[in-house]
Amino acid sequence: MKCARFSYHRAVDVADAVTALAEADGEGKLLAGGQSLVPVMALRMAAPEVIVDVNRIPGLDHLEVHDGVLRAGALVRHAALAGQTLHPLAAAAARWIGHAAIRSRGTLAGSLAHADPSAELPAVLRACDGAVHVAGPGGSRRVDAAALFTGALQSDVGEDEMITAVELPCPDAWGFAEFARRHGDFAVVSVAAARFGSELRIVVGGVAGTPHLVPAGDLDGPLDDARVASLADAAADDVDPPSDLHGSAGHRRALTREMTRRALASVAATPAREPV
Amino acid sequence: MTAADPSTADEHTTAGEHRPATGTPVRRKEDARLLTGRGRFVSDLVLPRMRHVAFVRSPIAHARLDGIEVAEALDVDGVHAVFTGRHPTIAPVSLRAQSALPGYVETDQPPLARGKVRFTGEAVAAVVADDRYRAEDGAEAVIVDYDPLRPTVCAWTDPAEITDPVHDEAPDNLLLSRTFRAGDVEAALAAADVVVARELTTNRHGGNPIECRAGVAHFESADRRLTFWSGTQVPHLVRTQLAELLGLPEGDIRVVAPDVGGGFGVKAVLYPEDVALCLMAIATPDVPLKWVEDRVEHLLAATHARDHRYVLRAGFAADGALLAVTADVWCNTGAYSVYPWTAGIEPLMAGGLLTGPYKLADYECTVRGVATNTSPSGPYRGVARPSTVFAMEALMDSGARALGMDPVALRRRNLILPADIPYRMPSRLVDDSGAYEACLDRAVEVFGLEAWRSEQARRRGAGERPLGIGVGIYNELTGLGRAASAGPRMPFRTGHEACTVRVNPDGAVTVFSGVTSQGQGLETTMAQVVADALGVDYDAVTVRYGDTDSSLWGFGAFSSRQAVIGGGAANLAGAHVREKVLALAGALREVDVADLDLRGGQVHVRGQEKPVISLAEVARVAYLQSDRLPEGFEPGLEGTKFYDPIRGAFAAGAQLAALEVDPTTGEIGVLAWVCVEDAGTIVHPVIVDGQIAGSIAQGIGGAMYEHLVYDDEGNLSTGTLLDYLMPTSGEIPELTIDHVSTPAANPTGVRGVGEGGTLAPNAVVAGAVADALGVEVDDLPVTPARVWELVHGGGAR
Repeated sequence: MKCARFSYHRAVDVADAVTALAEADGEGKLLAGGQSLVPVMALRMAAPEVIVDVNRIPGLDHLEVHDGVLRAGALVRHAALAGQTLHPLAAAAARWIGHAAIRSRGTLAGSLAHADPSAELPAVLRACDGAVHVAGPGGSRRVDAAALFTGALQSDVGEDEMITAVELPCPDAWGFAEFARRHGDFAVVSVAAARFGSELRIVVGGVAGTPHLVPAGDLDGPLDDARVASLADAAADDVDPPSDLHGSAGHRRALTREMTRRALASVAATPAREPV
Repeated sequence: MTAADPSTADEHTTAGEHRPATGTPVRRKEDARLLTGRGRFVSDLVLPRMRHVAFVRSPIAHARLDGIEVAEALDVDGVHAVFTGRHPTIAPVSLRAQSALPGYVETDQPPLARGKVRFTGEAVAAVVADDRYRAEDGAEAVIVDYDPLRPTVCAWTDPAEITDPVHDEAPDNLLLSRTFRAGDVEAALAAADVVVARELTTNRHGGNPIECRAGVAHFESADRRLTFWSGTQVPHLVRTQLAELLGLPEGDIRVVAPDVGGGFGVKAVLYPEDVALCLMAIATPDVPLKWVEDRVEHLLAATHARDHRYVLRAGFAADGALLAVTADVWCNTGAYSVYPWTAGIEPLMAGGLLTGPYKLADYECTVRGVATNTSPSGPYRGVARPSTVFAMEALMDSGARALGMDPVALRRRNLILPADIPYRMPSRLVDDSGAYEACLDRAVEVFGLEAWRSEQARRRGAGERPLGIGVGIYNELTGLGRAASAGPRMPFRTGHEACTVRVNPDGAVTVFSGVTSQGQGLETTMAQVVADALGVDYDAVTVRYGDTDSSLWGFGAFSSRQAVIGGGAANLAGAHVREKVLALAGALREVDVADLDLRGGQVHVRGQEKPVISLAEVARVAYLQSDRLPEGFEPGLEGTKFYDPIRGAFAAGAQLAALEVDPTTGEIGVLAWVCVEDAGTIVHPVIVDGQIAGSIAQGIGGAMYEHLVYDDEGNLSTGTLLDYLMPTSGEIPELTIDHVSTPAANPTGVRGVGEGGTLAPNAVVAGAVADALGVEVDDLPVTPARVWELVHGGGAR
């Protein structure tokens, strides 16, 4: 479990990082928190020739809300996200990530770029219909959550590109529920739910290659127990989960129903709040 | 957890007065280094000219080795050598676990694969390089030509389907089979009022110490001496075995086990990698070679355990008396008969102790050790009994349901009682403990069984989350002496330990003990025993162990034996030196020895406060002032004693827990967990409770989380700690630990506590879930997915 030889470049700014990636010609990898990259390098499942360390780039750890949207720099750590109150859904989800040491290093942008279908933050981005800003050799572009996740561990971030910032719209009401084998494990099933006005968005993690958006439609009435139950059933019917060591398809479907129910119960219980 | 208050630790060394160290939570001697990150582990060892080793491991479960190409690896920067099984130093050597049991099939295990590979992860080559990174670069460049054979993964595969046996010597893969028989089991079943049957499987898992395996081998050409620093539990045994395998005089081998980060039985094995490392060191003299196993290697290739199947029947009389048990047991031995314990280690323990703490006359049990293309099975804390207690308690629960009896009452009806001691079990092992009922009674009281039964009924009535109560009662066979030696008729008997107690010229005491420690505090426990036996303060005693050059002999750590046997030797050696001290003191002061007493390092005439001479002065005479030595006294002040308990000490234990089940998710919540054990005389209360708590935690890991899963091709599906789930502190409930005490008939009165805690959790968790849901739990581990399937996918009675 010792990684293969690589060269190391400490980027001074985003342009420098992107240039270094371009020069690596597909053999470069960004190092932010390293909580996914370093283990796969140690297992030699990845052997990048160039590591571009972005941790010292100034100005990428900002967290602020403008016009009801949380704007977060690429280097915002899970611990910071878990500790903030501007976006309670993101905070609640971030607390489910790994253990304290992992949350102190791992980054929001890193998790989104890594695109693990069982990870918490991709589901939150999708539930909030957020977006990321991506810098590359040709300049900067904005990628919507719907387009970002293209498959298991695959995202629409090119090998010479870097996520620089994340936009997470703040929902009016929210809920997050997760079932994991142990505290700190990747989700067997997680559900992020967000209500924006009358629009309800339910996203299930762990049941497909990408975070799965359940068609929930508009809330035309109260989110009472009966409505929660029918939405939970609809979510369970809508997913087509895989079987693996930690749960059968049937179990994951049942977990989808129960986690949706719990997340929606939180949505229903979210107190009305002043716009930030 | 209940435990004595450590804040009293400092009180016992009040000046001038000796209070026994035994029974008090003295400060652990090893803590100063272990708790401040200054432990000395094999991984910390750095020697001049040292090089690092990485093993090339087979990615295939079963294949002929058609060729190994090493040229490219030798070209890698920093790589110095590549060894394969054909290297002339390695080719003649095989590990061959021996047993005189009839029908046992002996097989060879090569240090590096020869001819074929037999499991995924088997070492086929070793790369020596400047550092581990370069060694792994070299390992990646070794090209191995594998010609696949059909793998066998499951030990209860129909033998007719075996086309490519694991070893040619055993065409049906059966390495060992034995039938335990007592009475007439078929007649007893025919006479029974009810007969219950169960088919159970238990889950393969392993010890997973924090420190994986590690070794540094250094062969010095000038004096042809091999030093092997190894994270082993059994340094003396390793020295003997290395001498036999390497053809070196035993006196020219030094094995050192420094601080070791957990063992749990996994490190009581001499591994092919250890032997390969030593052989390579001999082939590259004066260059120390270091191998530190990583977690991926550990999960793949360190010994596994508990991959068993049990087909059982039990007959009961209408009053609940257990009349008969029959059992067919398959134990997955893996690819090799583990050295030196053999393929018998799990099956023979299973057959010998299946009936546990219950009285039974009519018993028939056939056990098998079956080779498969998986990592070898070896000793792991509890050896087979976490599985057999699960099996026996499942029979008890089935019997209680069939008879309409309370499951605790049914167990109580059949326990071995004090009046039955010594009790000859149907396997002919002799049980010296009658404390089962006392443990059960105390556990029922501490747990509050009646209150939990009421809560269970209330929840049923209210339609709340179902609650279940699980019970596990067990006999832990500890401190095995020569008459009940661990292991199946091997060429050695593991009954004794040696201890040397030396009073230094300044009057302080150094103990050279054959025991070893992997974190369980033996340095402290041995010091307590010697301090009391000799009559000095705990702080005056220093303990050395783990180095075959300094201590005389010890079999080491396994079978919960060290406090019993090593402690017995320490007690005898301390008492022996005490006699020497008193004899010399009496001669020097012209006082009758019979009137003298040694306490707190001072020799007193009994009943008098003022000492007649200090131990320090006696020692000074013994070493430095031989002109003052009375006639007939030799210089020096030390003594060595061996101790063998001949049989062993059974330790009784009972665990009870209340679990709740969330039927929608299958999640299990532990509401209360109580363990009561009989540790006999407790030397160090916090160490004892720590042993029990840690072993229950490992038991819960095996019951609910840990599972080494192979696919049909023999690939390990759980190759990292992302998929092989070990419980963390977040998963282990608050444990309530309590004790009964019936001192054993050995010098210190202790009964072993190393393994007992692991024995019950399988039975407790499975029993509680079954009790909560009204189902039978036949397979482990009890995961949320499995519980959910039990609730929703059939399985309800």
